[in-house]
Amino acid sequence: MTTTPAAPAEKKKARRDAAKRPAEPERFALLGVWAVLILVFSLIVPETFPTQANVSNMLGSQATLLVLALGLIVPLRAGDYDLSVASTLNLSAVVVAVMNVNHGLNIWLAALCGILAGCVVGVINGFIITKFDIDPFIVTLGVGTVVQGLIYQISNSVTITGVDRALSDVMLTQPFLAIPLDFFYAIALCVLVWYVFDHTAFGQRLLFAGQSRDVARLNGVNVPRLRWTAMIISGGIAGLAGVVYTGTTASADPVSGAAFLLPAFAACFLGSTVLKIGRFNPWGTLIAVYFLVTGITGLQLMGAQQYVQQLFYGGALVVAVVMSKIVKSRGERRRQAEVRPDVPA
Amino acid sequence: MSDTQTTVSSGAATPAPLLRVTSLHKAFNGVPALRGVDLDVRPGEVHGLLGANGSGKSTLIKVLAGFHDADAGTVSIHGRELSSPFGPRGLREEGMGFVHQDLGLAPAATVLEHMALDAAGDATGSRRVNWNAERARVTDLLDRFDVNVDVDATIDMLTPVQRAMVAVVRAVGGQEQKGDGSTRGQILVLDEPTVFLPRHEVGLLFALLDRLRSNGDAVLLVSHDLDEILEVTDRVTVFRNGETAGTRETKGSTRDDLVQLILGARDEHVAKGAAVVRDDRPALLSARGLTGNRVVDLDLDLHAGEVVGVTGLAGSGFEELAELLYGARSARAGEIIQNGSVVARPTPADSMRRGVILIPADRKGQGGVLGLTVMENMSLPFLTRRAKGFRVDWKAIAEQAQESCDRLNVQPPRPEMQFGHLSGGNQQKALLGKWMDTQPQVMLLSEPTQGVDIGARREIFKLIRAAVADGMSVLCVTSDYEQLVEMADRVIVLDEGRIQSELHGDDITKDALASAVYAEEAS
Repeated sequence: MTTTPAAPAEKKKARRDAAKRPAEPERFALLGVWAVLILVFSLIVPETFPTQANVSNMLGSQATLLVLALGLIVPLRAGDYDLSVASTLNLSAVVVAVMNVNHGLNIWLAALCGILAGCVVGVINGFIITKFDIDPFIVTLGVGTVVQGLIYQISNSVTITGVDRALSDVMLTQPFLAIPLDFFYAIALCVLVWYVFDHTAFGQRLLFAGQSRDVARLNGVNVPRLRWTAMIISGGIAGLAGVVYTGTTASADPVSGAAFLLPAFAACFLGSTVLKIGRFNPWGTLIAVYFLVTGITGLQLMGAQQYVQQLFYGGALVVAVVMSKIVKSRGERRRQAEVRPDVPA
Repeated sequence: MSDTQTTVSSGAATPAPLLRVTSLHKAFNGVPALRGVDLDVRPGEVHGLLGANGSGKSTLIKVLAGFHDADAGTVSIHGRELSSPFGPRGLREEGMGFVHQDLGLAPAATVLEHMALDAAGDATGSRRVNWNAERARVTDLLDRFDVNVDVDATIDMLTPVQRAMVAVVRAVGGQEQKGDGSTRGQILVLDEPTVFLPRHEVGLLFALLDRLRSNGDAVLLVSHDLDEILEVTDRVTVFRNGETAGTRETKGSTRDDLVQLILGARDEHVAKGAAVVRDDRPALLSARGLTGNRVVDLDLDLHAGEVVGVTGLAGSGFEELAELLYGARSARAGEIIQNGSVVARPTPADSMRRGVILIPADRKGQGGVLGLTVMENMSLPFLTRRAKGFRVDWKAIAEQAQESCDRLNVQPPRPEMQFGHLSGGNQQKALLGKWMDTQPQVMLLSEPTQGVDIGARREIFKLIRAAVADGMSVLCVTSDYEQLVEMADRVIVLDEGRIQSELHGDDITKDALASAVYAEEAS
């Protein structure tokens, strides 16, 4: 720190100034790396990477993941893992397809069914977690597997194709500004989640419940109800992600949803190292999702194999948690250096 | 008991101490906890360690056990000079064993498994556990110390005193394993092992200590309980404010001598100012027949304009009273009455609505979130009160937080600082400011000045007195007598969950409190 042990008044003033300075430049680190990545790929593969087709493909193809991750950060903010989000997404996709194709239900009602199915999973998760006080990690792992079984059952383990084109039209095939519409939906959801997190009492209570259950409880927060609500929101948004997913593929298969689990967690945790360090935040999640896809797409355009995806997502998750730990302990050290208690010894 | 080889009183030359602590210093964030303590423990003695809360007893134990590193000073064991840091295993490698207050036993594991775990020591993880040999060793060990428990019993099947004895024998056994077979004595540190034991069973544990003593081992017994110390120890050292106040032979010492040592010289106190206690009106908050985990059938009235102190020995139940009244832990029986109406099952949210607030003792775990800003920590009760529709009015909350910080002299007065970066006293002031802004009728405080420096402590006292003068009622749960002397209009002393005595006004002195708290054993 730049504070010098001069006169105490001066010292106090210096500290005040220091506070004005944008603290923690590392909160923009990922943005910087992202910019460098874009630049590098544009130089290495100039004929494919910085093209309109590629950019709009990257933006549109990640909408499902972004929506899913935006749902997942709600329970994460409250300190709970939801490992069932990927199978919930898949369940919703299959429900939409079955309702629409096999039962001839109107596509919009079918989509509503998908979202409701997601909410039901959240209700069950939340019920078990809060009523019996069980670790959400294990509850959602089990419920997620049960959901996966259900998916096989209602889909007869086959891919259902021929979902109403109307859904694909509003998601993918009728782009705006050459960008698929689902990207804009994801952005809208991002704004909504940001508003809820930063400007509503609910969002603040989620934050406190996640940071310390005791503090929240002693300040009059109904922590179990809050956690339950968070699980329902996460399930519902996973259902929404399933609808988006069905729209982008115009079909639903019983297995591919599982591939979203790790990327979603990677995006949330990596996102918590950006903008607001140590907090799950929607804009950070957005940045993380597009940072990851930039890296993967770029490498694939350079000729890398499919496996690069796993390397990147898995690596990002691990790096993200390590980074947040390091930043946290750095903060602690800074605190030790900064806070000289005002005690006459 | 009939042993004659207890070394201390056997005259002759004083044996060289097994453990000698010289001028040990330790400060936390600049607040000194140990200002140079000295202590020596001889072979074949049970050495008591006494002191008020915050006198540095537990800090010393934690330094020896390797939880904290000392800032300066040396420790010598078996004549070997060592200086901190002692590494993560503390002085265990040098022949010290520790039994912490919570005993460190896992409820679902068996006695044998606990002991075998220690026996593995530094061996590599792949070393096979020779269960037969372990069983023989543990059985022998338990027999030798006359501890009658089944080696295959899981900890949760044992009575509290059996658990304590297993923990002690375990520590002894762990040291024996390391010993080279020589006869050098061990040093066993027991940190308040009797607090949670039923009175009539404590004797069993003390008999075990006698057996250790006759082995030529040394025991350092940390305790709050004067009678226990007088009964079982050979010598006793008293800490006061992080310094060694003195060491005495137990034989010939009286309870008054020790109390005097614990409290130190009498000092003058600031006058409380005349409180206007409105006990003519109905009480703001009352409890009838309140029963919790330790509190039994307790009646209490809190009137406007008074500070009621609650104190007692650890385990007497005084600690949980504030939480019971707030609804942070649910009472087993009894009712709470506010303004004439009965509150069925209080919850924190509901208490807040009624104007009853709690500031918990565990500031870091329960009072506030260290990783969030001061303003965020101060915002929680106001999120909906100050909401505009769905929207939280951050501007108004920020102004209010700034105003509180200025009014309560929180240093530095910047609500956007991380809560964890403030010193303990300033954290507490910020929390007080937050709750005072909710304009409560009753404040329940639990150890409000724990870990708070002297300056902030004064300010907090002043704030509380000012709040009371405005017609608030304050319940202050603490084991800090000085605080009660300075602040309380009335003090109730709990023993085994019941009100043992009540002191008023000028009768509240440190001596009176100490004798009330320690008196219950005097029967």
